[in-house]
Amino acid sequence: MQTLGNFKLPQFFNYPPYFTLQPVRETREKQVQLWKELILDYCKSQKVFIIGLEEDFPLFINSAIERSLSHEAKEVFLSSLVSEGRAEWMDKGHKKCLILWLRIQDWADCILNFVRENGLENGVMTLEDIRSGIESRGTELEGIDRGVLVRALRHLEQKGKAAIFKGSATDDEGVKFSA
Amino acid sequence: MNDIRKNPTFRTQFHEMCAKVGVDPLASNKGFWAELLGIGDFYYELGVQIVDICLATRSHNGGLIDLQELRTLLSQRRKAARESVSEDDCIRAISKLKVLGSGFEVISVGKKKLVRSVPTELNKDHNEILELAQAQGYVTVEEAQRRLSWSSGRATDALETLLKEGLAMIDDGHRDGKRRYWFPCVASMSVATGAGG
Repeated sequence: MQTLGNFKLPQFFNYPPYFTLQPVRETREKQVQLWKELILDYCKSQKVFIIGLEEDFPLFINSAIERSLSHEAKEVFLSSLVSEGRAEWMDKGHKKCLILWLRIQDWADCILNFVRENGLENGVMTLEDIRSGIESRGTELEGIDRGVLVRALRHLEQKGKAAIFKGSATDDEGVKFSA
Repeated sequence: MNDIRKNPTFRTQFHEMCAKVGVDPLASNKGFWAELLGIGDFYYELGVQIVDICLATRSHNGGLIDLQELRTLLSQRRKAARESVSEDDCIRAISKLKVLGSGFEVISVGKKKLVRSVPTELNKDHNEILELAQAQGYVTVEEAQRRLSWSSGRATDALETLLKEGLAMIDDGHRDGKRRYWFPCVASMSVATGAGG
């Protein structure tokens, strides 16, 4: 089994035609489905939040069989994730794509669990603490994209479970929980 | 009686014996033999698993699967059952499915036996392409012309038909720029590793 770092690649990754967009509908649907699952699995395991379509992305190249995805193919697969709410284009030109292997509301739930497990129901944390503090080490929150984190916190804010506040000029933004 | 479930050689011998005396033990699931020996259950169960695998892999292979690959997938599924399933068992189970009018059939292409689960009619040209594909897993128009002495139109026609039927996948990624038509039914993903061409 071929691997990318510690990530096990599925068998289809070694089958050359999966790197060419298939023209026949049913075959294409299967192809898109397999790539979507692979992209989500990979990004989740490697904590990749943003895929740049114009940069080399290890998942889109298989040097063992000398195949790589065309720009069009990348856009088709990612657009399909976008249409399911599992990704978002970050610019009009579709050059960068934010991958949401957890949806924003799921990230918000994840933060709530984290808050409860650490007894922070009425506590205060900086955003940087959440991303890289001791408490979050080894949890799903470790290394979370800052933009995603802010949106998840805003989601909690709307539900009255958190309040984001600005620190002084040198300080990071913080959040007060009321979970 | 346990031999029926556990031993594929025994099953083959049993079928041969039945054939000699003119009995088809699978003619009816309620038949005397089936009931006494549980052999009907064995093939019924196998048949269900075969249908299941054929349906699950259809969007990948277009409804045509190498019998050997089918057996590999069967043995993965039956791991808990610890019963080996022979080629003969599969063919018998499939011939029972055929009776149901389900379109399941075993066809021979070159050296391989393939199990068909869609009612696609393969003509002689299609068969020759599939046979050719067994060497590397794929065929190019040029290769079909050269090896089969066909016109380019005939080769393109046959390959495009197989593509539309879902039996082939195109690959435009090779550096020589020639389109390859891959056939998952003759070279599955699991064996294609390293055969990038």
